[in-house]
Amino acid sequence: MLLSDFLTPDLFASAIRIATPLALAAIAGAICERSGVVNIALEGIMLIGAFAGVVITLAMEASKVPFLVDNAVWFGVLAAVLAGTALSAIHAFASVTLRMDQIVSGTALNILALGLTGFLLEVIYGHAGATNSVVHQLQPLFDFPAVQGAGFWSDVWYWIDQLVFSYTPIVYMAMIAAVIGQWAMFRTRWGLRLRALGEHPRAADTVGVRIIRGRYMAVLMSGALGGLGGAYLSLEQNSSFSENMTSGRGFIALAANIFGRWTPIGSYLASLLFGFAEALEIKMQGFRDVFQIPTQFFLMLPYVLTVVVLAGFMGRAVGPAEVGKPYEKE
Amino acid sequence: MSETHEVTVTESRWMRALRTIGVPILSVLLAVGIGSLILIAGGYDPLKAYAALFQGAFGGEMRKPLDAIGDTLVRSTPLMFTGLAVGFGFRANLFNIGAEGQFILGSLGAAWFGLLFAGLPTIASIPLVLIGAALFGAAWAFIPALLKARTGAHEVITTMMFSWIALYLTSWIISGPLAESATNNFQTPQLSSSVWLPTLDKIIPWLPALKYAHAGLLVALLAAVVVALLLRRTTLGYEVRAVGFNPTAAQNGGISIPLTTIWALCISGALAGMAGASEVLGVTHRMYDQVSAGAGYGFTGIAVALLGRKNPVGIVIAALLFGALSAGSGTMQLFANVPDKIVMIIQALIIFFVGAETIVSWFVKRRQRLALERKGVAHAAE
Repeated sequence: MLLSDFLTPDLFASAIRIATPLALAAIAGAICERSGVVNIALEGIMLIGAFAGVVITLAMEASKVPFLVDNAVWFGVLAAVLAGTALSAIHAFASVTLRMDQIVSGTALNILALGLTGFLLEVIYGHAGATNSVVHQLQPLFDFPAVQGAGFWSDVWYWIDQLVFSYTPIVYMAMIAAVIGQWAMFRTRWGLRLRALGEHPRAADTVGVRIIRGRYMAVLMSGALGGLGGAYLSLEQNSSFSENMTSGRGFIALAANIFGRWTPIGSYLASLLFGFAEALEIKMQGFRDVFQIPTQFFLMLPYVLTVVVLAGFMGRAVGPAEVGKPYEKE
Repeated sequence: MSETHEVTVTESRWMRALRTIGVPILSVLLAVGIGSLILIAGGYDPLKAYAALFQGAFGGEMRKPLDAIGDTLVRSTPLMFTGLAVGFGFRANLFNIGAEGQFILGSLGAAWFGLLFAGLPTIASIPLVLIGAALFGAAWAFIPALLKARTGAHEVITTMMFSWIALYLTSWIISGPLAESATNNFQTPQLSSSVWLPTLDKIIPWLPALKYAHAGLLVALLAAVVVALLLRRTTLGYEVRAVGFNPTAAQNGGISIPLTTIWALCISGALAGMAGASEVLGVTHRMYDQVSAGAGYGFTGIAVALLGRKNPVGIVIAALLFGALSAGSGTMQLFANVPDKIVMIIQALIIFFVGAETIVSWFVKRRQRLALERKGVAHAAE
């Protein structure tokens, strides 16, 4: 086996694709934790987003109205974002207004999302397990004709086409979210205030930053991003919803956020690492005869990598000082 | 779990009683109430659903009482262990969200040691297998514990990841090295009956033959007593509580936080491991793929620990409640055609409401503030 069989452009492209839902959730986690709220409900937020996306897309496809049918998947994406935001609103209410333990609230919401999606799946479609497939997934944004012939320049073009132009819209959205998020967090007044909420809310309060509103906004934004990540899972990576399909991605995303030092671009790059590991795993499964390793070890890889990353081989990670602590006005 | 609010309000005795017993009961009622609304929205009759649920757990026309009660006890047993496990972690300010993984490892340990010790007399083999499974569970919690102590890696993420790793690792072990046969994949050979936990009626002669119920229940109750004693009467228990209550003060008092963290999480893992062992030795008599997947005993343990207010007695009672919910859900699905997922929704709502007990202190505070303001107004008017 040659290395060139392995390091093909589609390996890197698939790494970027797999990283997308993780990156969206990790950026969501970064924004939320910067404001001082831990959001382990991201797992449930993604799950409920994935579910809402498929349900609405299927419903739109079933309607006979041409406009709705043509744009069905976009309504699905919108529904996913709204569903994620709705679940995060409960988390915001619990952790900001009621000052509930944020991990308890997150755990409850994760189990709620798991139960609710399973329940509704049976109510709506009459069977457990998975939904039907949507007819039209999101299509790649660009569609350039394949190059003819061989040679250096056509190879270069092939790489560029695969690595830059082969993706569906949400992949680009995640990249944009990372860049804009980074800029907003460190270059705008909003970002300065956001970081103040998590570092020293008392001081921020003193100078007139509205703590409650700021934290609500951050949690809701993280819900919207998490829901979008869920939509990617069910409408792009797959074409249907199956029970518990997030399988721990919300938690891996939180690890990516920590590895990325609570910054949007850092979160994106850390997610790329996980995406690359999983892409490699999928690729290696194709060479199973060569490696003679049981499948389960490949499937374990993302989780093992998460622990390794968290083990902090790059030193102790220090997050926002007041993260996880509710704020009480004096 | 961090105590995230300071209750500076003075509470009346009535208020304190409400918080200890009232909040859990209220939470269950609220959760069942919202569950009814969800059932109605889904097009089901909640009365019919809950009637079937109740009969499935305690008996009636749809299910023989001895079967139903036995089933409830069988499902409560692992929940007592996992509830104690999560609750013990809570006491040290640790959220062992990965009890599920330790449960799986405990099941695997029980299946393995059960095969090894099959030749020994029952009186020796069962305790040995239980200890072995507890060690497996503790070992699975050890790495997250060590990471938490050394680098501060949050146990919520690491133990969760270890649950997924446990799932795939055991899936490989029971389909490879420990598989029953090449054709019958994904389960270990059946254990010899010498290591099965005896049924309850064999141990307590006057008890009627409750179907399924096994001696694991007694071990679980014993574990609750041991945990209670450990917490109240031993140095380690004191240290665990001190670290959970106020880590800074504990450290100033000379308690090693890293060491206490490691001990607490490993004991928590050991308890979760014993849950797996009691399931394997008492019910399934072998390890198979996703032995806990249907019920999710590890995750339900979180709800049990919170509803039981982290207190061993409360945990036993909460485990019985969740055992009943789990036992009844099958009957509900069968006779009322209601998806058993509703039980999971109710469970989530219970966690939420118990966790939101801060609402109570919020109301008290608000009332006091309003009273103060009124006083102030009265003052100004004079």
